[in-house]
Amino acid sequence: MSLAARIPAGWRRLRAWHWPGVLSRTIAAVLGGYALAALVATAFAAWLPASRAEAVLTGMMLSFLIYAGAVIWVFAARSAGRAWAGLLPPVLVLAALLWLTGGLA
Amino acid sequence: MALLGFGLAYAGFLGLSLAMDRHHAELLGGRPATARRRLLRGLGWGLLGLSLLPCLALWGTGIGLVSWLGLLTAAGLGLILLIPYAPRLALWLGPLLPLAGLLAWPILVA
Amino acid sequence: MRQGFRQCMSWLHIWSGLLVGWILFAVFLTGTASYFRNEISAWMRPELQAAAPGAEPVRLAIETLQRTAPNSPSWIISPPDERGGELRVFWREPGARRFATAVLDPATGEPVRTRESLGGNFFYRFHFELHMAPLWGRWIVGFCAMMMLVAIISGIVTHRRIFADFFTFRPGKGAGRSWLDAHNALGVLALPYHLMITYTGLITLMVMYMPWGIQAAYQGDRQAFVNDVFGTAALVKRANQPAPLTPIAPLLDEATRRWGGPPGRIDVQQPGDASAVIRMTRRDAESISANPQTLTFDGLRGTLLSASGEAAAAAATRGVAYGLHLGRFASPLLRGLFFLSGLAGTAMVATGLVLWAAKHRHRHARNGRAGFGLRLVEALNLATIAGLPTAMFGFLWANRLLPLHLADRAEWEVRCFFLIWALAGLQAVLWPGLRSWAAQFGAAALLGLLLPVLNLLTTDRHLGASLPAGDWAMAGTDLVAAGLGLLLGYLAWRLVHRAPARQALRGARLARAEGA
Repeated sequence: MSLAARIPAGWRRLRAWHWPGVLSRTIAAVLGGYALAALVATAFAAWLPASRAEAVLTGMMLSFLIYAGAVIWVFAARSAGRAWAGLLPPVLVLAALLWLTGGLA
Repeated sequence: MALLGFGLAYAGFLGLSLAMDRHHAELLGGRPATARRRLLRGLGWGLLGLSLLPCLALWGTGIGLVSWLGLLTAAGLGLILLIPYAPRLALWLGPLLPLAGLLAWPILVA
Repeated sequence: MRQGFRQCMSWLHIWSGLLVGWILFAVFLTGTASYFRNEISAWMRPELQAAAPGAEPVRLAIETLQRTAPNSPSWIISPPDERGGELRVFWREPGARRFATAVLDPATGEPVRTRESLGGNFFYRFHFELHMAPLWGRWIVGFCAMMMLVAIISGIVTHRRIFADFFTFRPGKGAGRSWLDAHNALGVLALPYHLMITYTGLITLMVMYMPWGIQAAYQGDRQAFVNDVFGTAALVKRANQPAPLTPIAPLLDEATRRWGGPPGRIDVQQPGDASAVIRMTRRDAESISANPQTLTFDGLRGTLLSASGEAAAAAATRGVAYGLHLGRFASPLLRGLFFLSGLAGTAMVATGLVLWAAKHRHRHARNGRAGFGLRLVEALNLATIAGLPTAMFGFLWANRLLPLHLADRAEWEVRCFFLIWALAGLQAVLWPGLRSWAAQFGAAALLGLLLPVLNLLTTDRHLGASLPAGDWAMAGTDLVAAGLGLLLGYLAWRLVHRAPARQALRGARLARAEGA
């Protein structure tokens, strides 16, 4: 089955995906994804055993892949609730660890 | 040598497309037998791989790889446009382009 | 609520692509034009003869700056290269934050009096700032680029038969079939380019988008971070003792000897002061990486102070990413291939947008009236896909047709661009439909095809003169514009002559297919 054959189904699915769910996922993807990406970038900067500039650069460059991955995850999850449930723990754990180790200067 | 790379990439894509039922029917007529399909597919991948060599020889690793990907895109797009509009030309260019590349090689290098 | 992974990705691909598609189209098209930024700039300043590279223009530029900006803490000189760039200087008045800039005549060093024009820089800046306030424009483009990355990844997942449908293009088949084929072919064949250009585009502005690592490791001191990455020293402090600057020619020779070519940029810090430093930056056309290699000289004695060495792994990666995105390669073939891939990307976005509209138009044709959403998408499609090329050619026409000494001339060129674009948008809203598509493609085709004629009528550097002289910036712009005009003309012709019959056929065939 090709993309073309699925587009009408896609439209029907949008109706079935009630808008609160889509809105919730969108927020999770855009804001949650950015938060995760920013935290990963910070974590690399703080913890990667390389020179300061190298650690910062590595984190920065990888963060966009993390962001893209997070968005894919959010929209692939079975429900908006599951999307949040998958996204929030790494965000909270990273934030807590960074805060505890003083990485969030 | 750039033309050689382009020609080999084109011939490689042509081989891969001929290994598919639809394009074999369009270009040569009929369905390819299994052995023939395998041969075409092997030839196609082989030629695509070969097309990397002139690029590396001409430009070195970095620019060579990037140029190779660009040439693949150009060759593939050319083939896709030729198949529906000029199928006979699409077929003939398969051997002609690498040949022209080989002939042009000494001229362009010199 | 339970759907397969692939279907979710299909939904994500369609909506992430649609929402930012129009901006992406504009970013792709102006970005593709920016591969020839220097050539377009040269075309738009026909009074300026192509300059020969060498030490003399740099010496003259320094003389001019010594006269006109002696108190500036910083000069930057960007000399002409083989691609016929201009001799441009930047300087900063003491206390000012922004650099002032001027184009100098490479033969005399005097500021040239050419027509005021932004040149190819307009497309270049539009590509990542959309002619908005930089902060806004860059964030919007960054958001769209992120969506593009998501759309590409979800598109790969969606397109299951990615290799089986590889070569399939069925022109004239029904209801979006051809558009889908074209969208797939353009997307798959140039996939390495699309992934590369989107990701590296994010990397070029990542310090703005993802500053959090710098915040953590450098307490937000971006300059310290930049100095670490590029291996450059911090700005020197002014000693406030007047001292003459060393002659530049031996330093240029030294740089040329080390790099096999002249530097691409010369920075002079604290000129005319005892603390003066001269830094040369290697041209980025000689390798993929645009990680600047620099030589720093003492500004009084001319001795070499430091040479930035090999970059570390991450910095080198960034350099490669940056270099790939800008595509300032020496090889004209490779730049041509990037231009072609950029056009493929532009066409991929366009076919995706048209595909969405075609699908929904077909469904609405059965259900009755087209909804607001569909009409909005169709109007935006027309205004963007057909309107933007028209406006871009119009920008080049304005450069030749506006009076030479008009006040704010450069600004008026930009106004003409937006005026034409707005008119295209107005037509899209008032008269949607194939006729308007044909009219706008036709207009763009005429503007492109006749550009060499306009150039013939308004300058003496027309094709008849530029081709024999090997003046490739001039001739190339004329020829590429005419070639693109031919392509757009073909599209317009197809819309006029084939569309009605095709559409009827298309509808009937699809009805049969869906009935079956």
